[in-house]
Amino acid sequence: MIRRLLPPLAPALIALLIFVALPMLWVLRTSFNELGDGAYVVEAMTLDNYIRFLGDPWYLVNTLWFSIRIAVVATAISVICAYPVALYIVKTTGLQRNILMALIMAPLLIGLVTLVYGWIVIFRGGGLLNSLMIALHVYDRPVRYMWDIKGVVILLVYIGAPYVVLSLLDSLERLNPFLVEAARNVGASRWTAFWKVVFPMTMPGLYAALVIVFSLNFSAFAVPLMIGNSNTQMIGLIIYREALLNNDLPFASALSVIMVAVNALILVGMAALFGRIILNRLEAKR
Amino acid sequence: MTRLDLGTIALRFFTLLMMAFLIFPIAVTLIVAVNPREFILPPNGFTLDWFKAAWSSKTFLRGMGVSLVLGIVAATLANALALPAAMALVRNDFRGKGAINLLLMSPLLIPTTIFSLALYIWFVRVGYGSGLVPLLVGHTIHIMPYALRILTASLHNLDPSYEEAAQNVGAGRIRTLFSITLPVIRTGLISSFALCFILSWNDFPISVFLAPPGWTPLPVELFAYIKFQYDAVAAALAGSLILLSAVAMVVIDRLAGLRRVLRS
Repeated sequence: MIRRLLPPLAPALIALLIFVALPMLWVLRTSFNELGDGAYVVEAMTLDNYIRFLGDPWYLVNTLWFSIRIAVVATAISVICAYPVALYIVKTTGLQRNILMALIMAPLLIGLVTLVYGWIVIFRGGGLLNSLMIALHVYDRPVRYMWDIKGVVILLVYIGAPYVVLSLLDSLERLNPFLVEAARNVGASRWTAFWKVVFPMTMPGLYAALVIVFSLNFSAFAVPLMIGNSNTQMIGLIIYREALLNNDLPFASALSVIMVAVNALILVGMAALFGRIILNRLEAKR
Repeated sequence: MTRLDLGTIALRFFTLLMMAFLIFPIAVTLIVAVNPREFILPPNGFTLDWFKAAWSSKTFLRGMGVSLVLGIVAATLANALALPAAMALVRNDFRGKGAINLLLMSPLLIPTTIFSLALYIWFVRVGYGSGLVPLLVGHTIHIMPYALRILTASLHNLDPSYEEAAQNVGAGRIRTLFSITLPVIRTGLISSFALCFILSWNDFPISVFLAPPGWTPLPVELFAYIKFQYDAVAAALAGSLILLSAVAMVVIDRLAGLRRVLRS
């Protein structure tokens, strides 16, 4: 078996070992190194890089806690925006459905920089969004979106929402429509039928979406880099800056380890929460 | 059953709103790109001048060349790595298959920032430093899971008796691969290649970490440009990228079904 399986699997596995596993381990090792004079990495075994970040209230509040909050807010808005869309799409067929699906998936395939260009035109001081909002009397003087946290959140929602729609559709399509019919026939209102039948069945899709979108948002660096400002120092952006602009590879590595650890911790919490919710639903059904 | 109640109407309205949100930046870019007066909206005419300017800019042309070469080579390598692995996974059931599958998908699970940083530090560590190779490796590894996913799906649809028949009449394994397997999964291969290419062509995060001086891919070039000015030439360039992505989307969707491919 091994003799038959190894040759075809070996190239991909070796590539992953050399270019993913070992580099990741090397990040862990580099995080204990020091930065010598002239920005050279000096071999060491120190926790200085971790202390520099975790011991500094500014970093903790403005970078780590800020990233968590932004990721949570953007993920929540993505879910709220995407849920009704998924509910609508699952009922469509034919051409209408194809068009909707194409629009949902377009942002996933078009590059981020390309999309950001359009957003810059929309966000600029007297740009489209402000003109529109003022014309609709939502507010009466231009609001700042570009180089601002509002722009960052809007963009993260823009990138995240399609993922949520796709995951929810996976769950919704598996849902037997007769279940809803049955609930309606025994007198449940539309709203009750949704909460008691549809919503619980979409838990797995919702969970998958939360995992993907939260991780994506938490580690975002391109969006705050392109439309953020000095108040949107998300942890991914700091990693980018320390690694490429300050050439401080040990510190960037320590930040990466912290980012992965915190992300994992939050995902574990989410798994526990969702596990309990799904279990409770099962209990309730019995 | 076309019962139009308030709930359905609200749902439809909200969906329309979201679609407008999703299409907004794309439409704006395309409109600015063909509008004669820079940024003055609504559009007051039609011109391809900005496209001409974008397509004759030396910087952009070089970026396009880099992205083209990078995309083709990375997509080829990714498929070359993924195809044998996909064949082994589809044809065999063994203990640890799930684990190997997860391992092969792992580049998708690691945040791009950290994956890129890790490769960057690793190439410095092994003494290579920055260069074309890290960039190529980064793109290849990152798109490989997508290739694996499409190829696995198309191999599932391949009836193994075709290959057995070929081998029964005396074809060797290589001969079977080239005259039976590859032609049968042709559409899967084409869409896998198209998806890998378009993901590499549009990639920003990996390129910005790994691209060496002189080998700047188009998205990074566009980013450097719009950091200082966002005129209609940039719109025309962005517009070109959007149109190319649209073509790729249609091709992938026709051949493999876009949704199956993008599901994370």
